Amino acid sequence: MRVAAAALFAAYAVTAFAHPAPNSIVRFEFEAGGARAEYWIPESELDYARAADPAGDLPAYLLRHVAAETTAGERWRVAIASVRGTNYLGHPYIVATLTLTPPAGALARGFVLVDDAVTHEVRNHRVFVVARHGAGSDLVGALQYPANRLAVAAR
Amino acid sequence: MQTRTFAALLLTALTALIQPAYAATATCRQSTPNAGGSAEVAAAIAKFRPLLSKSQLAVFERPFDYANATHWSNLPVGLVPRTTLRLGDLDEKQAAAARRVFVAALSACGLELLDEVRRADDFLVPFDKRPIGWGAGNYYMAVLGTPSAKSPWMLQIGGHHLAYNFTFNGHQPGATPLFFGSEPIRFETQGVTHEPLSAQSQAMSQLAAAIAARPEAKLSGTFTDVVKGVFMAGPPGPDFKGGTDSNFPQTYPTGDADRGIKVGALSPEQRRLVRDALESYATLPGNAISAALLQAYESSAALDATFVGFSGSPDFSTKGSYVRIDGPRVWMEFVVQPAVAKPEDLHYHALWRDKQSDYGGEARR
Repeated sequence: MRVAAAALFAAYAVTAFAHPAPNSIVRFEFEAGGARAEYWIPESELDYARAADPAGDLPAYLLRHVAAETTAGERWRVAIASVRGTNYLGHPYIVATLTLTPPAGALARGFVLVDDAVTHEVRNHRVFVVARHGAGSDLVGALQYPANRLAVAAR
Repeated sequence: MQTRTFAALLLTALTALIQPAYAATATCRQSTPNAGGSAEVAAAIAKFRPLLSKSQLAVFERPFDYANATHWSNLPVGLVPRTTLRLGDLDEKQAAAARRVFVAALSACGLELLDEVRRADDFLVPFDKRPIGWGAGNYYMAVLGTPSAKSPWMLQIGGHHLAYNFTFNGHQPGATPLFFGSEPIRFETQGVTHEPLSAQSQAMSQLAAAIAARPEAKLSGTFTDVVKGVFMAGPPGPDFKGGTDSNFPQTYPTGDADRGIKVGALSPEQRRLVRDALESYATLPGNAISAALLQAYESSAALDATFVGFSGSPDFSTKGSYVRIDGPRVWMEFVVQPAVAKPEDLHYHALWRDKQSDYGGEARR
């Protein structure tokens, strides 16, 4: 499903605006040697998740709950480049920018996302996973408890 | 004679006082024992059709396909536009005929729920500053396929906080998905107090209270909405179609872990509360639509294998309170959320799915 990335987020965010239980969206963009991700997490839902696992600061928390690995199970290196708060159409979000680097010898064109940043606690929460390709994006799928793994690939 | 009448009235009043709310559900149903038959509903629709204009018919009658069947939501129409026949646009004659369709399809309780949920939406209109489309007029109806006594077709009635999706003559009895909600949970208009989901909230709350002392009944995690609700995805942008049931078919938990306590392990009184909760949802459609489902849910073997679980406060006094009935085929949820119009208040969402017969088993991608 090919869509314009900006419109995609706008649509989700508008939905969140009137909904007391907004979902998350993580957008991956593949580049030479790895991938970057922008991860929008609604604060209201993240608060529940962090209350269940309060150790460390937010980057440390995210690194405990967001990972990428090859199909053979080798971990990619995930780093948090930045974390900021924003308010989009009336709902506060955390926006984390992540960089993902494959292990030596692994292709940088795809990985298995392993993520339960909110879903380890909030049972109805969904994380929409989007892969950007040039001018458009593909909705790869969604994660909801107990599912926490999804294959993401460059087109 | 007067004494006898007074005694009878007193007895009636006392009975009403000591009967739990769900008794009203049974009473409602008994008042409309034949509602929901496909021939009966099709006949009411046949009388409604000639009153509609060409353009109204064009939105009222749709093909019975996956996209149309799954186009329901728990979001207001400003966020998830409904494109079928808007009840707020009907003239007096059309509205009366539409109501006869509702009467044919619904139990008295189901009809009352429709009225009460729409009243609650009307109550929100003064708070709708954005606007996102609250209001009783923003409820819709449609038929998918051709109404008949034999071939499959659907009747949809719904809007922001209600989605009746009834499938007639399908592979399976088609009472679901059935979503309902209320914001506010209680309100007063013209001196009358309304609580649209009182029967279901009381039945689910009493069930949660009855099992609260059993550690295995407590579900892990936090619930901020129903778990198997609409999917906030789809082709977005100006023609955004997210917030519908586009994730159908659902997957459901298996095994015994974290599903609550099995009804087979409950006392007779607790089992009665499970049945009351089941009936508070399953008696909303007309009897002909859901009687077979209820019978399947309440069979001894099915009931024994059904899980009931809860999270939060059994009395539903706090957000995040949640109750679930998860059987071999039944899936019923009730959740307490913060309100949208006034976030310090609460609002309810409830969902009934059937693991085998959502859309009568007729909706395929």
